Amino acid sequence: METRSGSPLEVTLLTDLTDEQLLAQALAGDEEAFTALYRRRQGPVFRFALHMSGSSHVAEEVTQDVFVFLLQRGHDFDPSRGALGAYLFGVARNYVRRALERNYSEAILHSPADDEAQSLVTEDDPADGIARHQASTALWKAVLSLPEHYREVVVLCDLQELSYAQAAEALGCAIGTIRSRLHRAHDMLGKKLQHSVAAAPGRVSRATARWAS
Amino acid sequence: MTCREFKYTAASLTLWDLSRAQDQEILSHADICQKCGAWLQEQRMLGSAMQTLRTRTAGRQAGPSVERALLRMFRQVPFEATQSVAAHRFTPIALGLSRFFEVGAYVAVAAAIVIGLFLGVRLLEQRAKTTPVQSYSAPVTTAPTQVNTASTQDRTGKAIAATTHEHSRSSRKLAVGARSTSNSAKRLNTASASQTSDDPEYVALMFCDPLSCSSDTQVVRMELPAAGATSERDAQPQIADVVVGYDGVVRAVRIVN
Repeated sequence: METRSGSPLEVTLLTDLTDEQLLAQALAGDEEAFTALYRRRQGPVFRFALHMSGSSHVAEEVTQDVFVFLLQRGHDFDPSRGALGAYLFGVARNYVRRALERNYSEAILHSPADDEAQSLVTEDDPADGIARHQASTALWKAVLSLPEHYREVVVLCDLQELSYAQAAEALGCAIGTIRSRLHRAHDMLGKKLQHSVAAAPGRVSRATARWAS
Repeated sequence: MTCREFKYTAASLTLWDLSRAQDQEILSHADICQKCGAWLQEQRMLGSAMQTLRTRTAGRQAGPSVERALLRMFRQVPFEATQSVAAHRFTPIALGLSRFFEVGAYVAVAAAIVIGLFLGVRLLEQRAKTTPVQSYSAPVTTAPTQVNTASTQDRTGKAIAATTHEHSRSSRKLAVGARSTSNSAKRLNTASASQTSDDPEYVALMFCDPLSCSSDTQVVRMELPAAGATSERDAQPQIADVVVGYDGVVRAVRIVN
């Protein structure tokens, strides 16, 4: 996939272009540039929405909405105010919020782990695999039960592995705010996780404790 | 390391660093302190679960149907049109609201200025109407004082004092009255010109209808120019009590000396 501009010597691979350059070309009507941008950025947006909502259906809907928004209002994006990735997270955040207001109960009741219940039970020790699976499922449920502003920072910093600065850019707040929210969220998640592990059946609970340590 | 230092150090580490916990000081304190040890264990478990969850969902992405739908939509977007118009057409809601409030503020200020001007003009009009009344009524209290002062002066034998009954009789033919000037002045303050015309000492200078002449009047004592009011034989200035109506027109006059 490559694009030619001006003379035949000026050949640039789309993969070499920055997000901003791809967006500019996409908004000028270049379908290949739009496809490249979508393929580059849809994964993080989808996972952000998935972690925030716990529903792949909501995540797909949000991903589509985010890129439709980019097509329609991409001209409003100002590169001087931050990277396109952070901008997309900001847009996705608003769409997730709307989606959760619309069908919050559906998203929460549909456990994230149910989609792939057996995907991790491939360990040598089945109990260990179940323990991991249960712990991560419990964690995801705990993340989903967090207040939204705590959930956002956990998803962005811990699950999307964004730096504090990038998360602050996406959420439009100070780095100190991200740091303090994350610390508080970890405390809350740790307690929730302890409760859920303690409530698990004996063998799994022991395996979880062994795996965690 | 104290618990406080432990918390401070731990707070600066990421979840991943905590789950590895290479810091010997942290580990040794966690071994000693049960509470901090439990907290570290909790955070380690959280870090591991987070790592697992991240691995589990790392490969997740939107299905091909989303891409197809977006590309279908992309082909329908009229780019030339949107490029030129989009910047103007798609304004954020907050910006639109702020513009609305901005215009609203201008309208409010303009309305306040118009109302202020209108009220100001009305007030000035009212003041213009009431000012003559006030200027007439203000001397009402002073006129008798002047007269009283004059009567006092009369008693002390000063030249201007010509308000007594005897003085009035000896005065010119215009002054034909039996009552003291002060009394008549007091009465004339609130009396009508018709009443003034009843007073024999006063000579009515104009014919008034009962309605206009029954309004407030005041008596002003004034010194008439010597040349106009007196004959050659008497160079002494003439003192007169003048009854002035609310409209500034002299209703009656009485020569005092």
